[in-house]
Amino acid sequence: MNDNPLIHIQNISKVYEMGGEQVFALRDISLDIYPNEYVALMGPSGSGKSTLMNVLGCLDTPSTGIYTFKGLDVNEMSDNDLAEIRNREIGFVFQTFNLLPRATAVKNIELPLIYSGVSSSERKSRAIKVLQDVGLGERLTHKPNELSGGQRQRVAVARALVTNPSIILADEPTGNLDTKTGIEIMKLFRDLWLKGNTVILVTHEEDVARYAQRIIRIRDGKVESDEKNTVSQYSQGTE
Amino acid sequence: MKISELGEAARIAIEGLQANKLRSFLTTLGVVIGITFVILMGWFLNGLDAALESTVNLLGTDVMYVDKWSWSGGQNWRKTMARKDITYQQALEFCKKINTAELSLPEARKWGGTIQVKNKNITGISIIGVPFSYANLPAGTISYGRFFSQFEDQYSTNSAVLGWNVASTLFPDGDAIGRNIKIGGRSFEVVGVIIKRGNMMMDFVDNQVIIPISTFFGIYGSIGRSVSIAVKAGKAELMDEVRSETTGLMRGIRNVAPGEEDDFSINETQTFRDEVQTLRLSTWGIGIGLTLLSFTVGIIGIMNIMFVSVTERTKEIGIRKSLGAKSSSILFQFLVEAASLCFVGALIAFVFCSALIFVIVQFIPQADFLTPYVPPQLLLIAALVSIFVGILAGMIPAIRASKMDPVEALRYES
Repeated sequence: MNDNPLIHIQNISKVYEMGGEQVFALRDISLDIYPNEYVALMGPSGSGKSTLMNVLGCLDTPSTGIYTFKGLDVNEMSDNDLAEIRNREIGFVFQTFNLLPRATAVKNIELPLIYSGVSSSERKSRAIKVLQDVGLGERLTHKPNELSGGQRQRVAVARALVTNPSIILADEPTGNLDTKTGIEIMKLFRDLWLKGNTVILVTHEEDVARYAQRIIRIRDGKVESDEKNTVSQYSQGTE
Repeated sequence: MKISELGEAARIAIEGLQANKLRSFLTTLGVVIGITFVILMGWFLNGLDAALESTVNLLGTDVMYVDKWSWSGGQNWRKTMARKDITYQQALEFCKKINTAELSLPEARKWGGTIQVKNKNITGISIIGVPFSYANLPAGTISYGRFFSQFEDQYSTNSAVLGWNVASTLFPDGDAIGRNIKIGGRSFEVVGVIIKRGNMMMDFVDNQVIIPISTFFGIYGSIGRSVSIAVKAGKAELMDEVRSETTGLMRGIRNVAPGEEDDFSINETQTFRDEVQTLRLSTWGIGIGLTLLSFTVGIIGIMNIMFVSVTERTKEIGIRKSLGAKSSSILFQFLVEAASLCFVGALIAFVFCSALIFVIVQFIPQADFLTPYVPPQLLLIAALVSIFVGILAGMIPAIRASKMDPVEALRYES
């Protein structure tokens, strides 16, 4: 494990104003995430784990506290800088896949590259490459509605990977999948981790969290526990 | 803004149009009508200007015509009717006395004359009698052959110079020289053909036959016929000087008492410019009014549909932002979409106008001074205007889209 954390958050809080009342979604959270960690953020709904993920993913900024990403102060960043960080450093995978319905698999995967100004031919070849890597080399020109749930999530993973991000942030990636397909997707994440990627997984399911190497439990906007995974589900994958 | 985003924005816009064909078409109707007005107005003014230019060239900017009638009308009709004819003698006296002009000559005209070739009668021909020096006026420019000579003029020979249409109708083989035509029962030899003029205000000149003035009076007589006098100043700067001498001379010749109004009119090409200017202004006025009205309707329609489009695609905006699209990229995307919508409107308008203009020019003879197609520069103007209108209409919805919070947008479920 490297000495320099990829993500360093210190005493961050997120406060929402609701009907004149202050609601704390996050309270005084501190944690470091290092390169090539596989972290599960666990917690029941309403615990603040989604807010934490949005903050970690630079979709949202904390109300107070320090957030540095690769040593850069995220709080100081403009909206454009944040967009740039999301584009280059973070790959999102969502529960509902969030693919563009009218675009083919390849076009969907090309999207982040469009915003980083990669040429059309290079975009296409890189998109095809990652699509093959996730085992969908046969589904290049299919649109989301022509793909199964598992296939859609693979396209989403491929889209997250195509920019070679520092972190893959997955928000309940198996939430809309049946158990069998969910396991396939979790194996895919495990493989990515084994190849050296940093993965942060947000989930409320123990079974899913067990794939990770480190489990951070969130409750009422606070870190409840942060420990190494002992019930090593991920070791199953190496069998 | 990156080049790659431009292609993406265009692609999204086209996809959007294809996905909502009917909606897009209905939305652009206001713009279609607006652009139609722009094109029709431009086309008409274009034709008008061209016609004016050729008229002015035909008559000459340094030439004035002394007439019983004013070209611009507008004066008291009864008063003009009551004016005495300008007689041939008065015209000759004037031409003899005038000093400042480079050239002046009388011109007698018979409207609706008839000529015969072999056994064919052709009516509606304007026959004018002029001296040989008419060849020095722009109106006397020869296409082929020659003008009749001083000798032919003096001896009242039966020589004729044909307008372009007359020549090409009678002698479609293209050689009129040396052929015979009959005017008022007399046989004439064609010696030359005037260059083609053909335009709105002066199309009769292509349908006229020019003969020596003495021959003219021999056929049609001089009683009850007002002669007009062409006065060529030589230079446009000399017009004022020539005009004032002309006025003085004519008043003297026609015994107009001091203090009384002139009983003749001095017509110049400026009259046409003034008339065209009036026509142009009223075309602009009506055209701009209608155009603005339809663009207003069009902009409201497009703005409305763009708001719908932004709302429909809230989730998509969230996805794009999560993948690294900047606010400017989202703004740009929706502006391109709105501009494309309007550009398609311009294309529809262009096709519609092309068809309409073709039909108008084909079937309305009075419109033959206009081009049977949309002038290319108007195409460019229409395209630019449509894009501008699109950006104007799309701006507020696009700003709204670009300012969306990515977290909120991602949470949106349609």
